[in-house]
Amino acid sequence: MKKFATAIMAGVAMSLALAAVAEAKDKVIGVSWSNFQEERWKTDEAAMKSAIEAAGDKYISADAQSSAAKQITDVESLIAQGANALIILSQDASAIGPAVEKALAEDIPVVGYDRLIENKDVFYLTFDNKEVGRMQAREVLKAKPEGNYAFIKGSSADPNADFLFSGQMEVLKEAMDAGKIKNVGEAYTDGWLPANAQKNMEQILTANNNAVDAVVASNDGTAGGVVAALSAQGLAGTVPVSGQDGDHAALNRVALGTQTVSVWKDARELGKAAAEIATALAGGAAMDAIPNVVKFTTPGGNETNSVFLAPVPITKDNLNVVIDAGWVSREVVCQGVAAGSVAACN
Amino acid sequence: MRLASAGFVAVLVCAGLRAALAEGIPSPTVPSYLDETPTSGLKHTFAGEWEFMVGGGAAAFDCNADGFPEVFLAGGENRTQLFRNASAQGGALKFAAQESGLELESVSGAYPADIDGDGVTDLILLRVGENVAMRGLGECRFERANEAWGFNGGDSWWTSFAATWERGADWPTVAIGSYIDRKEEISPWGSCTDNWLLRPAGGARKFAAPVALKPSYCPLSILFTDWNRSGTPSLRVSNDREYYEGGQEQMWKIEPGRAPALYTAEEGWRFLRIWGMGIAGYDLDSDGYPEFFLSSMADNKLQKLAEVPASGTPGPGYADIAFSIGVTAHRPYTGGELKPSTAWHAEFQDVNNDGRADIFVAKGNVWEMPDFAMKDPNNLLLQKADGTFEEAGDRAGVASFRTARGGAVVDLNLDGLLDIVTVNRNDVSEVWRNTGGKADAHWMQFRLAQDSANRDAIGAWVEVRCAGTVLRREITIGGGHAGGHLGWVHFGLGSDTEADLRVIWPDGQAGEWQRLAADSFYVVERGKPPIRWQPK
Repeated sequence: MKKFATAIMAGVAMSLALAAVAEAKDKVIGVSWSNFQEERWKTDEAAMKSAIEAAGDKYISADAQSSAAKQITDVESLIAQGANALIILSQDASAIGPAVEKALAEDIPVVGYDRLIENKDVFYLTFDNKEVGRMQAREVLKAKPEGNYAFIKGSSADPNADFLFSGQMEVLKEAMDAGKIKNVGEAYTDGWLPANAQKNMEQILTANNNAVDAVVASNDGTAGGVVAALSAQGLAGTVPVSGQDGDHAALNRVALGTQTVSVWKDARELGKAAAEIATALAGGAAMDAIPNVVKFTTPGGNETNSVFLAPVPITKDNLNVVIDAGWVSREVVCQGVAAGSVAACN
Repeated sequence: MRLASAGFVAVLVCAGLRAALAEGIPSPTVPSYLDETPTSGLKHTFAGEWEFMVGGGAAAFDCNADGFPEVFLAGGENRTQLFRNASAQGGALKFAAQESGLELESVSGAYPADIDGDGVTDLILLRVGENVAMRGLGECRFERANEAWGFNGGDSWWTSFAATWERGADWPTVAIGSYIDRKEEISPWGSCTDNWLLRPAGGARKFAAPVALKPSYCPLSILFTDWNRSGTPSLRVSNDREYYEGGQEQMWKIEPGRAPALYTAEEGWRFLRIWGMGIAGYDLDSDGYPEFFLSSMADNKLQKLAEVPASGTPGPGYADIAFSIGVTAHRPYTGGELKPSTAWHAEFQDVNNDGRADIFVAKGNVWEMPDFAMKDPNNLLLQKADGTFEEAGDRAGVASFRTARGGAVVDLNLDGLLDIVTVNRNDVSEVWRNTGGKADAHWMQFRLAQDSANRDAIGAWVEVRCAGTVLRREITIGGGHAGGHLGWVHFGLGSDTEADLRVIWPDGQAGEWQRLAADSFYVVERGKPPIRWQPK
């Protein structure tokens, strides 16, 4: 009943999403981190916290320390502390269910942060992984519009691996149908492990007599394995390779020319968006009234309200973006780079 | 007089427990472990590529009838090795590599069991390829018996083993777990191969053709256990969610004369997905039913029956109490890494002889898995008086950062203190001698025997009554990670210097309670008074 009334209210305020944010004063936003001591989440938190506080709301948090069991009690504790909305970075999406259901039963909206939570009533916020795949393929295609392509996919156990691959295929389909590009080998990478990626790349090179002209690798770790396999055959730097994550080593490879692109997801954008969505939902906005919301059908068949942020492809030409953002230092990016070869290193 | 005073002691203990709860529970005594790897002669490395990322089992059993357990270690791509136990009672651990006939390649694990009931322990070798049943000949010699016993070794990536003797059978029933299709190295997901059940061939003392236990979900540990005390053990199967599709944890009803059948959600079985690596059972709360520790990546599970009815047998629903009693052991407690850890072999044993079962967990990254800790110390979780656990692996000296897989917590020098062996992947195996901690902690150890095909009384429950409570252990073959032990069954007794023993034999018949002195070994033959045993 309460939910229904809220929905109507939000419907009226649909075009005033920002006003809804402003109205959300004095709400409590509870954030459940899966493993906060991991360095990467500090950036997310800082952005999240300042956006929540800017809206006049209060940030509270709990750290599951990598334990799915602790995360369930963390969420219960955030509810007990009066959270009006929850942001959950789940440790184990298949185990968090009972805690999420408890929150929803108390009409507390939940935002699944970065990792999918299989529940139709949970808002899902992440970067657009399909777009990551598209960006990877676009940059490789730019560098090598024709030829033999290899695909080093992520772990089959991770649904993101298939989102990435479908994005890549979308961009390359036309050239493949026209016979310009030939798929000469594709492989999943067990555990996203660089060593496995290297082994798979070696097999593909052997099977093709080294006649591989481009490699679409799904992240920077696997790209590292690919570049190692290419180096062993004297091919590194001549075969375009994609990646993602803005790994420091990968950004250095981009500067050195052995990797073509690393698609970067700016954690500050993700943290800020989560705060704004949670604040709006806590203030009574309906999930389908959030700006840029789309309907997304999960691998588990749930239709969720989702926002997918656009990542940034980092190539030799815009390395300054990650350096200026403070993501990585110029020294790290430019290590071993020949003077004058990369603008950002000058 | 004695009994009366025992009762009095029990009341005191309970009163003491309540006081302790009010004031905060004191830390348990931390046993002191000495790393004797360099001096013990246990020189061995389990090694291998992809096909040996799991496995690496240790088996402990006596093959030369001197009462000291030998140690057999799987080698993977290296040679497997039997180590004869040359330790003196209470002395430093000493081993000598022994030619035995067990020196096969591609061995990932091993479980001792007296398959043919001749009183000499046999060894089942789990392999990537064909499993081999090795018949014990005495004096630590073994010979292949696949053909003689009708034991189909198959051709698979075998990972796990369990044995039971079904009611009325004169030959064991064994279950063997199988992992992914090893030919699918590039894309192994969803390629889980069939687990097998080998039952006795009616009439002949050998195995019938294997029956596939479908669906199979890539188990890394299986265990026959009489979880509901019905008298008929079921087969618990702990599965690795990394590779199955649509799978979950499983338990099979294995009823004599009937086809295996899975426990269903309708019957109360609860859906659970973990990276199942090892199973250990123990009746922690002395309610008569075993709890199960399931090792996994990140959180480990401690399962307790969700409901125990006042009468009748309970249903198969389990609740996870790992977090509330402090045994999730989900990330390294020392070494500075923050990523979750990876657990393999797990065992309940009372390592400080305080009368409370503790938990040892062997830890190690699968293979440079980036989302999991690389420096991943083993756990030694000590049980406190209130039933919660406290980590003491570092203080005890067993917090090795090597990439552990299998292991055994077993009294190798027969001093009543349980020692620890671990098998590490692509690294040396390790052995630690327990040198104790507290002087007035006592123990007893038992070896069961009965005059039947099931000589070692697998499926029996050993009960020890001391300090006003009944400690209870089920005698099983299976569980752990890729290895197990057969031999002395150990109980810590705390400060009690005497305790009562009773055996409930596999057919359900309970023996008499017998009063025994602590700090001794007893051979308990069915229908006879226990005989105190000492090494020669």
